[in-house]
Amino acid sequence: MKEYTYIPEVQRIFTCTVPGENIRQVFLVDGILQEEENRADGVFLTRGPEGKGLLLNINKDCTDRPIQIISVRSENLPQPLEFSNTWMLEPGAKAQIIVCDHTLKEYLYSTLRFSNIILGEGAHLDILFMQNEHGRSRYRLDLNVELKKNARLNCHILSLYGGTIQNKVQVHLLGPGAACYLDGLYLADCEQNTEYHIAVKHHSPNCHSSQLFKGILDNQAKALFNGIIYVAPGAQKTEALQANHNLLLTNDAKITTQPQLEIYADDVKCSHGATIGRLDEQVLFYMRSRGIPLAEAQMMQQMAFVQDVLKHVPNPAIRSRLEKMVESRLRGEFTKCAHCTMHCC
Amino acid sequence: MLTIKDLYVSIEGREILSGVNLSVNAGEIHAIMGPNGSGKSTLAAVLAGRETFTVTRGTALYKGVDLLALPPEERARLGLFLGFQYPVEIPGLTSVNFMKAAVNEQRKYKNLPPLSSGEFLKLMRQKMAVVEMDPSFVGRGVNVGFSGGEKKRNEIFQMAMLEPQLAILDETDSGLDVDALRVVANGVNTLKTKDNAFVVITHYQRLLDYIVPDVVHVLYKGRIIKSGSKELALEVENKGYDHIINKE
Repeated sequence: MKEYTYIPEVQRIFTCTVPGENIRQVFLVDGILQEEENRADGVFLTRGPEGKGLLLNINKDCTDRPIQIISVRSENLPQPLEFSNTWMLEPGAKAQIIVCDHTLKEYLYSTLRFSNIILGEGAHLDILFMQNEHGRSRYRLDLNVELKKNARLNCHILSLYGGTIQNKVQVHLLGPGAACYLDGLYLADCEQNTEYHIAVKHHSPNCHSSQLFKGILDNQAKALFNGIIYVAPGAQKTEALQANHNLLLTNDAKITTQPQLEIYADDVKCSHGATIGRLDEQVLFYMRSRGIPLAEAQMMQQMAFVQDVLKHVPNPAIRSRLEKMVESRLRGEFTKCAHCTMHCC
Repeated sequence: MLTIKDLYVSIEGREILSGVNLSVNAGEIHAIMGPNGSGKSTLAAVLAGRETFTVTRGTALYKGVDLLALPPEERARLGLFLGFQYPVEIPGLTSVNFMKAAVNEQRKYKNLPPLSSGEFLKLMRQKMAVVEMDPSFVGRGVNVGFSGGEKKRNEIFQMAMLEPQLAILDETDSGLDVDALRVVANGVNTLKTKDNAFVVITHYQRLLDYIVPDVVHVLYKGRIIKSGSKELALEVENKGYDHIINKE
């Protein structure tokens, strides 16, 4: 049986050192899966329609070994790229997936990734999207997730680097007892532009959803958060929360936040809230009065701000790696090696 | 160690301090008392480097250095510490990481290598014992969800970690019950040496039963109107500020 490995031609270019030795790595280069198909340990993967994208079927035999899907834009395809993925978790399946998007060159790449995810009854998915390209790239994620009875989705989106990033996420809670935890963190500087369009739709009673999105914007960066919680008629005992908090580091950075509730049931518990603020002067003074220099104090306050998003990432090794990446991102330490635009370390 | 001369301070055009003179030597404990609004906290904040205040006149020399010209972090690295009246909460930053950053900044300034995690934890356990602090506190966000007394205890813990030469404690006793007061005072007394000095700002004489001052000052309307021995604190307690104000 074939093992999931780096494809040789990509391995020469970079090695992803995401912690966890038993991680399974699956490569897509320009939207094309770098292996015909593979079936191992309850995971079946193959190419999608027209040979592009990734079809994934995960059943109950899937182990707790995380699957990392590394999608790279190469120099061979500077044109806009679209591909779609369908990932299915069979009833009772549990999986942990990390999706990393990278570019090998600083071309004006444009990528549109459609992803459909279906979680069968009682299935449990932990998924992390790492959006880490470069200042000229355009990247769009169009994610649609359906949750059946008692299914559970734990989804984190980290927009670390990209010229324009658009995330359109729709989550449909279709069966009673389904639960969705959706977190996002966006860090943007220079002229970067990040958009989140989130819709969590409660179609069935007794479902739970919770969203936490946070952003830090520097320079002239712009961001939009447009989030809606929809509760269908009859979706009683719904519990749905949404929070969006933003930190603006300059007067020129701009955030538009539109939290919305649309509720057609009368026995529900829903809340939403949004804040926009700057670094807290009193906290900065407190830190400085302990000998911490201003720049470091500003840094520490930003790290403190993002902490509650990062702490929801369940895998401790990955969480601490993300903390380091976020910190070097905030410090502006994404120095590029001559052959790498990955911004991972 | 600290010499303040003719210090005038205002905020948004309103004068708060109007010619403060104060001299503190190593090995001394000074108490500054005064009614609400007399400028006690302003004095503490200005010495620590709070930028919302404007110094309009006067000087403050600390170990011969012009204190008022330095940013707050440099004052701290030179051994100045401010115990806050209202310590801020910092969700997302644990006390252990906060203190590690602070201690290592200080070590960097002294050309010492950063402490290893083991050394740091050992130091922290030692200093927490000084203020009888529960070890679980350091893993929590700085001051997050702490009671008033716990926050003040945490200030003294931070002071113990940083071992300042001049500590200014701004109403560290306010909001403390008797037990917490004893712990805080005990912390100060434990840390007291012949080489460091304390300026204790307080409303009440009560704290001075535990921390015995060498000099007591009464600050009123932005000026020190009377200085004396520890008996002055008792006089304030028994006869009130009005008595002293009217006499001066």
